[in-house]
Amino acid sequence: MSNKLIRRIRYIPIFLLLLFFALLIILPVLWMALSAFKPAKEIIKYPPTLFPSNFDLGNFARLKTRLRIIDYVRNSLIYALGTTLPSVFLCTLAGYGFARFEFRGRNALFILVLATMMIPFQVTMIPLFLVVKKIGLYDTYPGLILPKLAAAITIFMMRSAFVTLPKELEEAARIDGATEFGTFWRIMLPQVKPSIITMLILGINAAWNDLMWPLLVTGDTKMRTLANGLALFIGSDTTEYGPAFAGAMVSILPMLLLYIFGQRYFVEGTVTSGLKG
Amino acid sequence: MQATAKRERRRSVLAPYLFIAPVIILLFIFNVMPLLISFFISLFDADISFHLNKFIGLGNFAEVFSDNRFYNSLGVTLKWTVVEVPCQLILALILAGLLTRNTVINKIFRAIYFMPIVCSATATGIMWKLILHSNVGYITYLLRMMGFGKINFMNTAGLTFYVIVFMSVWKTFGISTTILIGAMQNVPTVLYEAADIDGCSRARQFFAITLPGIRPTLWFLIMTRIIGSFQVFDIVYTTTGGGPSLTTETLVTYIYTRGFEVFRMGYASSLSVVLLGLILIITVIMYAAMLKGEKD
Repeated sequence: MSNKLIRRIRYIPIFLLLLFFALLIILPVLWMALSAFKPAKEIIKYPPTLFPSNFDLGNFARLKTRLRIIDYVRNSLIYALGTTLPSVFLCTLAGYGFARFEFRGRNALFILVLATMMIPFQVTMIPLFLVVKKIGLYDTYPGLILPKLAAAITIFMMRSAFVTLPKELEEAARIDGATEFGTFWRIMLPQVKPSIITMLILGINAAWNDLMWPLLVTGDTKMRTLANGLALFIGSDTTEYGPAFAGAMVSILPMLLLYIFGQRYFVEGTVTSGLKG
Repeated sequence: MQATAKRERRRSVLAPYLFIAPVIILLFIFNVMPLLISFFISLFDADISFHLNKFIGLGNFAEVFSDNRFYNSLGVTLKWTVVEVPCQLILALILAGLLTRNTVINKIFRAIYFMPIVCSATATGIMWKLILHSNVGYITYLLRMMGFGKINFMNTAGLTFYVIVFMSVWKTFGISTTILIGAMQNVPTVLYEAADIDGCSRARQFFAITLPGIRPTLWFLIMTRIIGSFQVFDIVYTTTGGGPSLTTETLVTYIYTRGFEVFRMGYASSLSVVLLGLILIITVIMYAAMLKGEKD
């Protein structure tokens, strides 16, 4: 009994430390969420307030007039889904190919895939920009999406997922006369569903929050995504803090919902990619 | 029997290539080729129109190595590596050690620490920039109330760098913590039970059992964080843009300004080739150190 009490008392400083860091995460986000509802006058008031005196939706309304927020949200959605869905599909195909077949050049090609993971995007961004511009895809969705489709890390993760499946599965399918693609699609793919969901969620989150590529390859304000549209808005030394807060909330909320419902996948994906490295 | 064998043989010829062909082609066009092109462009004095008619050989590289602003950005980047990576990893190690067990309360803390993964650098930048704003920021206000005077976090040479490092740690320490927890949970529990019987203290257990047990993961994290520190751009771009007086201008930020603000594509390419060289050198050194560490 006393032992338990001692352990409890010892836990108090640990708990306070953990709580400190938790508040360090939560409080700023909460402050920003509350500030998004403050009218302009209240935001610049001194001393600053914590809670809005009344919940004012003016900042969100101004997002439409000052920022083309509707375009930004649409573009972010198109970029996030348009990149991630085909990317995960193609990388899953490749992961399956590398995991379940013996073929000439397999190891060399797989090493090539791994090697591309080592090339930082910052090194290839200038030539990519050049290529996209030369073939007339500047300021277009294909220009945004095409260069981001092949993701070595996804190929790597999907290969790991397929490699562990028992051989009997595909053999049974083949004896039943299924085609190669049929075996993959109907028998093998359902086995790795959690990995697929993980890759989809991580991919959507990464593309939604991606800043650099949309920044380079879009010039027209109609083509901007939330991440780069807001960055350019706040970067212009604006004093319109209200819309900036509201815009940041609009960019965080969808991914926060995704996180609340798919936290398991976020964590699993991060841990497995970390442990396998 | 023979039919299956035949089918088996036919199976292995073309099918795998069809499965991998799309991404291999894409990787070639959008990763391998651009890498080669970037070497090529770096030999030209090219502007935004990319008219490659002014071949200047290694002229851009000669300029890089006599460019004070390049050395400044390299210095800022190395400072980032030396400050951000240890801060982040030590914090993550401590928190992971405290949160290894799967209790409800630990799961809640883990979920909170991991949450900033959904915040874009833009949102993170806007948030901290305004909380620390010299006029409207709440933290600035609190510090003023406590008698610290009016601190200009976002525009003070010498201080702003650390503010941005803090933002970066804020955004990513939960990821490192999560990865380390995963590794710590894979350390066999019998080792801890044996240590308990021997009367080993918790701190001693951490250094004698946990750290060696998570070594491969820790190395992986150190490596990816160091490489990542050479690619810092987003959080700088969305907060200071490199200022004040270039004290937060990282290598990639400098590459961006050369390429996309003053449109010196050839020069920016040669900077990015230098960046690639630096990353490769670091990777080789780290890898050698890791192999040596495993041998000892």
